[in-house]
Amino acid sequence: MDEAPIQFIDLSGGNVVALLVIGFLGGLISGFIGSGGAFVLTPAMMSMGVPGVVAVASNICHKFPKAFVGAYKRYRFGHVDVKLGMVMAASAAVGVWVGVDIQDRIRQLYGEAGSNLYVSLAFVIVLTIVGGFVLHDVLESRRPGPAHAADRVSRLAKWVQSVEIPGTMMHFEAAGVRVSALFTLPLGFATGMLAATIAVGGFIGVPGMMYVLGAPAIVASATELVIAFFMGLGGAIKYALHGLVDIRLTLILLAGSLFGVQLGAIGTTFVKPYVIKLVMAAIMLIVAVSRALVVPVYLRQLGKVEFSREAATFLTYASLAFLVLALCVGGAIIVGAMVRGYGAAPARL
Amino acid sequence: MRKPYLKLCVSGMASCALYILLYVYEREIMTAFTRTDGAYPLLPVIAALVFSFVHGAFAAYFWDVLGITARRERG
Repeated sequence: MDEAPIQFIDLSGGNVVALLVIGFLGGLISGFIGSGGAFVLTPAMMSMGVPGVVAVASNICHKFPKAFVGAYKRYRFGHVDVKLGMVMAASAAVGVWVGVDIQDRIRQLYGEAGSNLYVSLAFVIVLTIVGGFVLHDVLESRRPGPAHAADRVSRLAKWVQSVEIPGTMMHFEAAGVRVSALFTLPLGFATGMLAATIAVGGFIGVPGMMYVLGAPAIVASATELVIAFFMGLGGAIKYALHGLVDIRLTLILLAGSLFGVQLGAIGTTFVKPYVIKLVMAAIMLIVAVSRALVVPVYLRQLGKVEFSREAATFLTYASLAFLVLALCVGGAIIVGAMVRGYGAAPARL
Repeated sequence: MRKPYLKLCVSGMASCALYILLYVYEREIMTAFTRTDGAYPLLPVIAALVFSFVHGAFAAYFWDVLGITARRERG
């Protein structure tokens, strides 16, 4: 290989426990909102000293089996639109392939700090824009009145559904939409690109299916798991071909996340659709702040800005604190909603 | 509903065995799983799938035994 040798970290007992806990919470969030565990897992691993590209590679390798387990669980609940998932996944696979190549090129050109900076900037930009939009929608949907029903179709989605392009129209039964495949192609591609960059394509995929195609939140979040499976599989193979997967990290993450993803999937049967959006928006915005805090640290490593080592250490710890906050907020909203749901109607199956 | 205690125990032991193997053979596994020649890149993918089937089954039985199940299944 032509890359510089990769440094795999020594795993301490503390690191293993931390990976199990964040794996569980990440899985819980993925099972609930369809993706997303990774936006916490990647930065958390980077905070442990794992190089950015290894964190993304190990994360994406743990994501496809987790997504498979979550998708199967939610398929049983009738949430998954398999056809939409497959169509989106086809173009997402191309996006992943291109995204991994870009990531690799940046690492060769600018080294580890450059790669970390690129991943962090992608986090900040995408999470701020999409998270802000989803939060706005949650606040709007909670206002009383029929025009603000919990799962109303956006104006953009209404337009997309009204466009008839002969030979490209597809009906997605579970999502209850009929759209041209030409709209799903760029959406899938962008989802794949983002997945390969920050290991969380769902932050384009889920809002895209909700606001561009008009799928209900519960179907969009479940269908994303199908896309995540295929993207994760493609990404894992590609990163494995470069020898970048730290299988220990992957399997330890799976140990926690397979518990979480199933609990999160069960949780979706207890809540109203806006809760899924609320969890998504809250976590995205908090993680955006977390990654914004470390951008100056990577700029310092690249020699672009100068400030003291102590300040850099402080920013790194502050970033980690925001990650923990994101995990706790997401987990608390999901568990709280489940507890309320259990209180409202006893479990039966 | 009868709870799957036996299945929980069997899948739990199988999952435990896999993780013990990972711990004991950490060095050898890391060497083989980061090779980029031949079919070696398939190893991480296969390992992730095998672990997810075994450990995923254990996790499912775990929530079943605890009585945490979906409120309703939609058809």
